[in-house]
Amino acid sequence: MVIARKASAGTMQSSDLTVVVEPAGRLEIRIESTVKKQYEDAIRERIEAVLARHGVTAGLVQVTDRGALDYAIEARVETALRRAAEV
Amino acid sequence: MTAAASRLATAGEVADARRLVTSQGLLFEEGCDDVVGIYEGGRLAATAARAGCVLKMFAVEPDHQGGAVLGALATELVRLGRAAGEESFFVFTRPEHAQSFEAIHFRLLATHSRAALLEFGGGLEAYLDRHAALRRPGRHGASVVNGNPFTLGHQHLVETASRRVDTFYLFVVREDRSVFPFAARFRLAAEATRHLPNVVLLDTSRYAVSAATFPRYFLKRLDEVAVAQMQLDVRLFAAHLAPFFGIGTRFVGTEPFDATTAAYNGAMREVLPQYGVALVEIERLKGDEGPISATRVRTALARRDFDALRRMVPEPTLAYLRSAEGTALAEKLAAAAGGK
Repeated sequence: MVIARKASAGTMQSSDLTVVVEPAGRLEIRIESTVKKQYEDAIRERIEAVLARHGVTAGLVQVTDRGALDYAIEARVETALRRAAEV
Repeated sequence: MTAAASRLATAGEVADARRLVTSQGLLFEEGCDDVVGIYEGGRLAATAARAGCVLKMFAVEPDHQGGAVLGALATELVRLGRAAGEESFFVFTRPEHAQSFEAIHFRLLATHSRAALLEFGGGLEAYLDRHAALRRPGRHGASVVNGNPFTLGHQHLVETASRRVDTFYLFVVREDRSVFPFAARFRLAAEATRHLPNVVLLDTSRYAVSAATFPRYFLKRLDEVAVAQMQLDVRLFAAHLAPFFGIGTRFVGTEPFDATTAAYNGAMREVLPQYGVALVEIERLKGDEGPISATRVRTALARRDFDALRRMVPEPTLAYLRSAEGTALAEKLAAAAGGK
């Protein structure tokens, strides 16, 4: 899957996250989280897993998290990717 | 679970929003790009609006405050704003509400007793990153100018100030709300300072004298709101821009005419030293008929008085004023003056 345009998913509510993806020359993930200290690596791992599953190799992925659980992270990233890939 | 916020479009919905905003002692401003709200049981429980990159008029019914309502409003405004091409968003609010916005990942840019300015979307970091190549070792100075248009007075300020520092950063106001468009203001500033090797030009983006930090500047209305805004504008400069570029001194021209600018200079005099930045006021250059100002240049341009203009502006500005673009602006200015 190729990130063709800017797209976002999610909300700013507690236990949720917002994901903004946009085209970029290389793959970059930026994470802002209320639980960044404890869980940044775990969040990154979840995002990378979704990106790998969709074969995404380039793009800027910005995540603003308020303590979302794994499945919420995966669902929001996947939704943002699908919106970014639509024509 | 709080209901999601949605865009209020009908006249009835907007009337509800106006009622809620007004009931909380806030001013309902016309001309916003989006007004959003949350209805619960047929009653508007919360509302907020977006004008460009600025989120405003957050009003929540007392029995809904403290919950997830703020996140719902901000989510929808940011979603709509991003769809309209905005990347970063500002909120100008009371200091006691700053924490609620910080909880949903807004970053506090500046605060003082009356107001706080927050941003969502990492715009300031991106702006500083973009200009990282302009950082240099040494003791530096800076000015922020609108240059509407660039005069001999501006040139005198930059010449005098740049001699006193290692690098002089000349910030040109990015906001396009002045008579002269940004591209022209920036180019004329560059051409008039080209002979000064230690002068570095950059635009302020939204981080000084902008619709986000100091909207009243463009209205030229000196009231309580304007005073709060200039406090935030100066604190943002002192806390974020100055340390990033190593700016130890901000230079301004003395202000004999304009009350808003004079008050802004006063705010700098009070606030900058608190952040370890000195303010140096340089006596304004005097022409044959008193101090030179961009206001006087615009008045002369409206009359097409090129004799007067030649004595007030550097060569590049004069050439621009004589160009087709300059002539069109002169006609606009003359029409505006005639209409008064």
